Amino acid sequence: MNSMELPLVAFTILSQAAIGMVIISSVRQYAVEGPTGNIRAEWIVAALILMCGIAASFLHLGHPLGAVNVIKHIGTAWLSREAVGVSLVLMLMIIGFATIDQKVKPALAAGTALMGVLAIFFTGMTYAPPGYPALNNILPFVFFLLTAATLGTAISSYFSPKEKMPLLTLILGAGLLVALTVYLIVPFIWFSAGTVMQQTAVEYLSSPLYWLRIVIGLAIPLGTLIMTRTIPVWVPVLILTGEIIGRIAFFSLTLHASTNIGGI
Amino acid sequence: MNKQLGFFIDAKRCIGCFTCAMACKNLYHQELGVIWRYVYDLKTEVYPHRERAFYSLACNHCENPTCSNVCPVKAYYKRAKDGIVVHEQDKCIGCGNCIRSCPYGAPRHNPVLRKAEKCSFCWERIDSGLKPACVLSCPVDALELIDLSTYENPNVVQYPQGFPRYTKLNPSVRFRVAETPTIIRRKRL
Repeated sequence: MNSMELPLVAFTILSQAAIGMVIISSVRQYAVEGPTGNIRAEWIVAALILMCGIAASFLHLGHPLGAVNVIKHIGTAWLSREAVGVSLVLMLMIIGFATIDQKVKPALAAGTALMGVLAIFFTGMTYAPPGYPALNNILPFVFFLLTAATLGTAISSYFSPKEKMPLLTLILGAGLLVALTVYLIVPFIWFSAGTVMQQTAVEYLSSPLYWLRIVIGLAIPLGTLIMTRTIPVWVPVLILTGEIIGRIAFFSLTLHASTNIGGI
Repeated sequence: MNKQLGFFIDAKRCIGCFTCAMACKNLYHQELGVIWRYVYDLKTEVYPHRERAFYSLACNHCENPTCSNVCPVKAYYKRAKDGIVVHEQDKCIGCGNCIRSCPYGAPRHNPVLRKAEKCSFCWERIDSGLKPACVLSCPVDALELIDLSTYENPNVVQYPQGFPRYTKLNPSVRFRVAETPTIIRRKRL
């Protein structure tokens, strides 16, 4: 997309991390027996992370004071749906935090998790426009869901009791393995498509950003999990660094269809 | 079909002089680097001749404009009376969604206003019964204003090589493709 789009990098990563945190928190509370950990702190931190992400998204606008108007075109604009979806998730997180009694109420926990996935879907569709053939499909949603699964789980480990760490290690390990596979395969699939997608594949595979993201954000954390069978405190930082590099690559390396007008 | 104005681009006639792009620039005085109409030359894979061929392109005023569909603040609308896609800049908040979405690169970022903008089809001139500046200025009549609801010409195509094919958008543009140049060889005496 020709520029690094740092406000959007911050918004997408932080919102997906926050949503991933509350999903994992809900899984810890209800899907398995045992202590739940510091749920209260986890939900308020998730809400704060999401607020920081939303604040960052305002910096992307040429006229941030007009941000309230983005809900006007919910009928067809995915960006409008995204704004509503993310706002609803934030509202549910705050209600969840305010009403915690040992655990978040089950319906509220499930509702927040579901709304979170829906908001990630809206974000994925926002960044899947016709102008970017390589992304004009389900891939942005898959990328963003993987960010929520890996980064959300990683940050959630700070709030998890020791009893639940094997579960989180398993979830994070599986998420990293799937993400590593997807990120390694996708550029080669792009090679089988049209010229702009092929050019995007070359941009990715020849960029240090892409390989740094693979090594720092996915391979090293996955190797560490396999070696240590737990999530060391520095692994979430490594995964976050990898996500930032990867998201900068997502915004700056993907080619616009108009770059090839006049060509095959 | 309702009235739908569009551009007819005759790549056989176009000489790549950029007069259309300059006429647009002269009329609207866009900021430095902001381009509403641009003359793209066809790469040698598409037109492998020493004599070059060109497409003069701006906003295609699509039947189903993606810019209008994705704009979260409804800054775009399509005129019912002639199909022109208008961008209302006072409503624009500069999110860049239209710029990302249009596969033809028509909406551009204005760095001074921090908003998007694009070819207006000179709708003020159209409403006054005049031709758009680009059409009026073309010295070789390679650019024409057409109404697709009545336009019939068997020798035109909508998606020639080198022009992105997005059938869902149905861009309101038609082309006469460039032909292979005639090669004249002198006979040896």
